[in-house]
Amino acid sequence: MSLDARGEVVSDEQNSPLVHDEALETTAASKEIAGKSPTAIAFSRLRKDKVAFACTVVLLLLVLLALFAPLITKWFDIYWDISDPNAPDVTDVLDFDGYPKVGPPFHPFTWDHPLGVAPRLGYDNLAYLLYGLRTSLLVAFVATVVSTFVGVSLGLMAGFSRGWSDRVISFVTDLFLAFPYLLGMLALAPIIVSRFTTDLDKLAKAQLITLISVLVLFGWMGLTRLIRGQVLSLREREFILAAEVIGVPTRKILFKELLPNLVAPIVVSISLGMPAFVAAEAGLSFLGLGLTGTPSLGKMVADATPYYADYGLYLWLPVGAITLLTLSLNLLGDSVRDAFDPRSRR
Amino acid sequence: MTDVDDVAVAVPTKGEKGMRLKRSAVAVATASLLALAACGGGGDDNKSSSGGASSTVDTENLGNTGNGMDPTRQGPATIDGAKQGGTVTLLTSTGWTTPIDPSDLYYTDTNSIMSSLVTRALTQYDYDDKTGQMILVPDLATDLGQHNDDYTEWTFTIRDGAKWETGAPVTADEVAFGIERSMDGKTFPNGPGLYYSNPYFLGGDTYKGPYTDPNAQQQAVSVDGNKVIVKMSKPFPDFPYYASFPAMGPIPTDPAVSDPAKYAQHPLATGPYKISQYTIGKSLTLVRNDQWDPNTDPARTNYPDSYVLKAGGQDAQTDQIMLNDSGAGKTTVNYSDVLAQDYRKMNDTGRLVVGGQPCTYFYAIDQRKVPDKSIAEALTWAVPYNDQIVASGLIPGVNAIATQNLMPPGVPGREPYDPVEGHGPFQTDPAKAKQILTDSGNLGYEIKFLFATDSDTSVASKDTLVKGLEAAGFKATPVASTNAKFVADRDDVNGDINLRSYGWCSDWPSGSTWVPTIFQSTDLNEVGFGTNESAFNNPEVDQKINDVFTLPTDQQPKAWNDLEKEIMTTYLPVVPRYYGGVALSHGSEIEGMNVDNTLGMPTFRDMWVNAG
Repeated sequence: MSLDARGEVVSDEQNSPLVHDEALETTAASKEIAGKSPTAIAFSRLRKDKVAFACTVVLLLLVLLALFAPLITKWFDIYWDISDPNAPDVTDVLDFDGYPKVGPPFHPFTWDHPLGVAPRLGYDNLAYLLYGLRTSLLVAFVATVVSTFVGVSLGLMAGFSRGWSDRVISFVTDLFLAFPYLLGMLALAPIIVSRFTTDLDKLAKAQLITLISVLVLFGWMGLTRLIRGQVLSLREREFILAAEVIGVPTRKILFKELLPNLVAPIVVSISLGMPAFVAAEAGLSFLGLGLTGTPSLGKMVADATPYYADYGLYLWLPVGAITLLTLSLNLLGDSVRDAFDPRSRR
Repeated sequence: MTDVDDVAVAVPTKGEKGMRLKRSAVAVATASLLALAACGGGGDDNKSSSGGASSTVDTENLGNTGNGMDPTRQGPATIDGAKQGGTVTLLTSTGWTTPIDPSDLYYTDTNSIMSSLVTRALTQYDYDDKTGQMILVPDLATDLGQHNDDYTEWTFTIRDGAKWETGAPVTADEVAFGIERSMDGKTFPNGPGLYYSNPYFLGGDTYKGPYTDPNAQQQAVSVDGNKVIVKMSKPFPDFPYYASFPAMGPIPTDPAVSDPAKYAQHPLATGPYKISQYTIGKSLTLVRNDQWDPNTDPARTNYPDSYVLKAGGQDAQTDQIMLNDSGAGKTTVNYSDVLAQDYRKMNDTGRLVVGGQPCTYFYAIDQRKVPDKSIAEALTWAVPYNDQIVASGLIPGVNAIATQNLMPPGVPGREPYDPVEGHGPFQTDPAKAKQILTDSGNLGYEIKFLFATDSDTSVASKDTLVKGLEAAGFKATPVASTNAKFVADRDDVNGDINLRSYGWCSDWPSGSTWVPTIFQSTDLNEVGFGTNESAFNNPEVDQKINDVFTLPTDQQPKAWNDLEKEIMTTYLPVVPRYYGGVALSHGSEIEGMNVDNTLGMPTFRDMWVNAG
């Protein structure tokens, strides 16, 4: 019987049905668990987590609503953009003082505008909410993917390369951490507008890209530091040293040896980063620094605050949507972190 | 100056200046009230009986501006049943950031508060309860001035008994010095002197003023006993109106006292209140000036003990204070417009005062690029007047009043007419516009206009206009700008736009403040649009404008109206959108608050606190 490796012992045991030792039975049981990767363990834990399940359902629902926004608005015949040729005229839906002529707050429910009409601006609340959700999800998703990519790459580079490149990357990371991003956005917004004065479609796109860029620009540092720290400790482990000794190319070491060991922190960072980006987009748009030509939940909150006393629904809609989105993302993130954390016991 | 625009509409019109005037229509010096009423003519005399809070909006007369005079009015002014005492709090969202030195003062809010309460001038306006309009009455002068035959020399007799807050009497020399001081455009770049003193006063074009050029001698102002004589380089029949500006009042001749830098911090009072505390952009506290003698003043009163002004508040917050009406809120006046969303509630309280402002907001169509009148006609039908007003947070019929003429109601000689055949005020009909465009072969004509991406109201206004234009068969191309750059972009003569939103307010009611300013051609390369935002350049019309100036003054009002009608029906360079209006609120203990429709401000001269 070979004692070189545990696996061989076990396979030997399996091949000899005559032996029924209790100790060996235990070994056999632990073997089944050992066959699972940490990720698989985490997912099996997640599946049993009721909160995670509920959050996933809510998120799926929100994503579907956002994806099918054009179909839903078409079905209801509602518009988020009052300059749409088919949208009702402002004074068709609004009174002289800007309050809606139909639906809440002063008139009964109507299927023409299921969630009412925005005072002063005259857009349909449901349509705006759906398209705002779309923007939020798009911005948060793209910002998360890009900033994760940037953060992981830089973290790997910094952690694995000893010497000056590590120092440079660490310095840049600290620099960006120290830079006030709100100030950056305040300075950027008018510059972008003046660049794209004539073409409004381009302006809307430019604003969207700028917003995402700014979120990415100031969103990668946390992950970079985390990954760098992990790599620094992994780098000294035997399997990496061994790989280096036998001449495995650096690229292969990074992606085949290091990266798989970093899945847990990356997944946790993604799941906690998404809601932060949703909130950041809403916050910036609330301040008027984010999007102007594109519907945004943050802008809807800003539009609605002056009307809160008489038209509470108008404010609760975007606030509710943002809360639902960030809450479910956050709870899911927590569950993911717990699932991936070997020290947490459930 | 008063160019106002969609952006400025967000904070309506308090920060505006008055505007430059060339010559006038109103026969002044010998005119009695009767003669002037005849001059005003045309059924525009204001007949609204405005008794404080009004619940319905009289759109006929809201835009009415003062065109009456009473040269014989004597002090003291009293209000039946008014009580002494109380502190009036004034709230506003606008900055109170413009100068209050009388020579440098040219904004409606500072003008209203300072001239009603603190600084006296040669003449002043008084609110007339019966007509709801402002009447020009004497102030430091004993009448509204005497003039020579061609209005090139004006003589004012300074009354006895008027005193400074120091107790010293106000002398003719000090009034003369004040008038002289207004010609110093370099020291007082914000003041009205640049627009009236320098162009009209004898030698005003070369005289730089007592501070900029202390050695030069001015020729315009002289003193003879208690008479101040002002000589003009060209006829200035409207001088009594200009004489109501604080700049046409006394300034201490002692250079140590009236040093511009120092005096701007604390102008000395001649009126019923003096300044006890003043922080620019923030606050002003006025307390009773016991040296002021009501017998010398035909219009002012001093019932409240003090006025406390706090600037820069949030409109939404201020509206809540006014709606709650508790504590100090009972004696508070908000001279910024009530927000549209609070209008109904405020109106229900009966403490909302609405009134007009001599402002017209219009679209100027670039005549260099859009030579075809059918475009303007189609535009007149296409503009979604009501939609735009509601979307930009104004209230149609309250602070955006239906318009047809360029000149607002109250301008003497004005008669309503339809610039486009069959088009009524605020009437939008895309089908008709499309028909006009189709008939003239201009379907799909591109209209380019500016909007500010960082202004909610500007964006909303743009959205509605785009929709209206496209429904009418135009191609709408909004061009993005920002709040900060909007005016510069609009006034760029080479800018790639062909529709400009503009607003104009007159300093006093006269056709000469409208037709020449808006339609007289300007040298586009040298001075830009000036105030002619449609780049309307027609030598024939220029000649007609000059012809009107040579007419006898009593014929000018009608001539201006006829000329406006002719220009509008023949060329249609502008599409009028709405007249200005204000909706001001006051606490339940404030009495006597109406709207001064020459400025769109409360009537401070008639205000008192009714503590119960």
